Amino acid sequence: MARKSFMYSVLEAVQYEMREDKNMIWIFELTPPVASNPGRPVINLETEFGRLRVVNTGIDENWMAGCVLGAGLAGSKAATYIPYQGACMPFQMIQNHAGKLRSMTGGDASMPVVFIMEMTGQTAGFAGQHSDYEIDTYYAHIAGVKTVIPSTPADAKGMMASAIRDPNPVVFLYAAGLRELVEEVPDEQYLTPLDKAAVRTTGSDITIVSSGAGMPEVLDAAEKLQKAGMKVEAIDLRSLKPIDTETLVKSVQKTKRLLTFDQSYYTLCPGAEVIARVAENVSGAKFKRIAFPDAPPPAAPEMFNWMRPNADHIVAAAKKFVA
Amino acid sequence: MANRNDAHARDAQQKSPSATRRNFLQGLAGAGAAISFSSKIANAQQGEIGYWAKDLTDAQLTNMFSTILRIRWYERTLVDKMLTDSNYRGYNHFYVGQEAVATGVCAALKNTGGVMEADLIYSTHRPSGHAIAKGTDIKKMAAEYDFRATGLNKGYAGEMHISDKSIGFMGADGMIGPGPVIATGSAFAIRARGSKQVVVNFGGDGTYATPHFHSALNNAALLKLPFIYVIENNLYHQYAHYSWSCPMKDIAEAAAPYGIPGVIVDGQDVMQVYNVAKTAVDRARAGQGPTLIEAKTYRYYNHWGAPGAKPGELGAFGYDPLAISSFRPEREVRDWMTRDPVDICRNTLIGWKVIDAAKAAAMEAAIKQEVLDAVAWADKQPFCKPEDGLKNVFVEGSVLPRQFG
Repeated sequence: MARKSFMYSVLEAVQYEMREDKNMIWIFELTPPVASNPGRPVINLETEFGRLRVVNTGIDENWMAGCVLGAGLAGSKAATYIPYQGACMPFQMIQNHAGKLRSMTGGDASMPVVFIMEMTGQTAGFAGQHSDYEIDTYYAHIAGVKTVIPSTPADAKGMMASAIRDPNPVVFLYAAGLRELVEEVPDEQYLTPLDKAAVRTTGSDITIVSSGAGMPEVLDAAEKLQKAGMKVEAIDLRSLKPIDTETLVKSVQKTKRLLTFDQSYYTLCPGAEVIARVAENVSGAKFKRIAFPDAPPPAAPEMFNWMRPNADHIVAAAKKFVA
Repeated sequence: MANRNDAHARDAQQKSPSATRRNFLQGLAGAGAAISFSSKIANAQQGEIGYWAKDLTDAQLTNMFSTILRIRWYERTLVDKMLTDSNYRGYNHFYVGQEAVATGVCAALKNTGGVMEADLIYSTHRPSGHAIAKGTDIKKMAAEYDFRATGLNKGYAGEMHISDKSIGFMGADGMIGPGPVIATGSAFAIRARGSKQVVVNFGGDGTYATPHFHSALNNAALLKLPFIYVIENNLYHQYAHYSWSCPMKDIAEAAAPYGIPGVIVDGQDVMQVYNVAKTAVDRARAGQGPTLIEAKTYRYYNHWGAPGAKPGELGAFGYDPLAISSFRPEREVRDWMTRDPVDICRNTLIGWKVIDAAKAAAMEAAIKQEVLDAVAWADKQPFCKPEDGLKNVFVEGSVLPRQFG
């Protein structure tokens, strides 16, 4: 047990699996599989496992995704880390191939592969192509691909280990905004389920649901609301496909109020699916969504920061909702 | 692998007869260029040696020098601003070192008349040079780089997405891949309507590795599109040396399978860039199809921002914490700086007696002041209104705020 960063936790899981399975490969561009942590050995997958198994490619995300899919079909475990500027370039490989091959082969295809898709940190000034957060919606929509989105270093490690061992293709959404997060993470390898939401705070007045980089904002807001006397149940989805409907329904049956929070665009944001599932199963509940407007993120910080959903928006909306 | 590291080794270049003659001409003129690059595919010049710079007027030559200086000082001013002004918010990718490429290519283009008349260029995430060479107003550019409401694109673009349709500057692009394919679409429209424009796509060495590279050249060759792909091979894509993603020493070799000219040019010498660009533009305008030009060049700064640079000094030699894959050795940077595009252009024009040293110094001082004035103007421009972020999603109206629930 030691305090570890998000990236260190992820690479610790990968390093363990690559030591266990000599066939496993890792493909990257721009972001080298290197992490250091105070008091811990530096992890460098490239130097440890060599360039036969770990390759820095050209700027070709289409190949990166295709390569790990092909490796999986040929019987090897494989993972790729696709940085945020290219996170939709390999969409076709994942949506029309990885997502459909199990079905199209009558269940025969082997795809023990992980597509680590970096989501932007929503940095003001990066503008349109480098600051929107929409890929959670796109990848969660694909049938045949599990899509997970951890929000803590400990979950990231356990879910990465599970994703690599899962025989299905997994899109592992990596929110760049969480890179700086540090927390206690066990040293040994462990598995965190890929289909369970986590209840972060319990309460009976309102259920607030989010995922990934939205979670720090939700937890910040929940703390403020609790200080103001509101009993908040904050739920971290952790998995967007499948969605843990049971945990959501159980919570809203109690609170009767559901507020969802997404940094993705409003239309078809994960919260829209959450609300639909709860509405099908809970009667007499009220619903509200916070999301990024349906607009490409403009460059100017004045515009972008005003549009970007944050903890203050949650606090204000929750107070209005519960009042 | 070993000999790939000397991809730009100067003594390894085979000189074609025409390249030798160009060197001879330049030697006579006392020009600064010491070397010349040749192409595997020679252009049939039909009795013309292709040294088109011979036809430029003194005014055109002086304008080229002005453009190089304007790019150089626009960027050096912004480097210093990033290093010293904590209120400055721009995220810039510097082009310094590559000025002769944008300047030489755009000097061969028609730069007025909007998208229906001007020649069109598609730029990259390193756009200042292309924008300035095409003729974009540097005051509005500087304002856009700092996200001001009166900036070139009203604060929506920032550096990485600037565009200026009025002069055929189709825009910067933060992505690697799609740009050249889109550019061939513009070329297709031009061929279909018979408007005699040409389209230039600027791309870095990193673009070679994308599937889009093939798509653009294949379709441009098949359809004989008025399309020119200018690869600015500055050795590094992001933080990786191009030998990590391209199996060839010369990317121009990639032209051969498409049956189109693949030309290598010394990207530090604006006259040589102009010569090959003019040949390619004439060919495209005459309906003879695309050309791939590989300009061998170098950037004096790191991939992004000014890490390793010092205020008032040219170039970045220090540590870039992001450059984990490939470090640019300080000696490599300094080696390239000995063949500086500003110096080469200045020496050429002095040698040709177009200007003298005093005039060159006066031009540089005036342009430095013009840039300082532009950046000072930009600093005084108004910030954007937050709610304007909901505009410009569609031509009409605005979208609803959703961030408040």
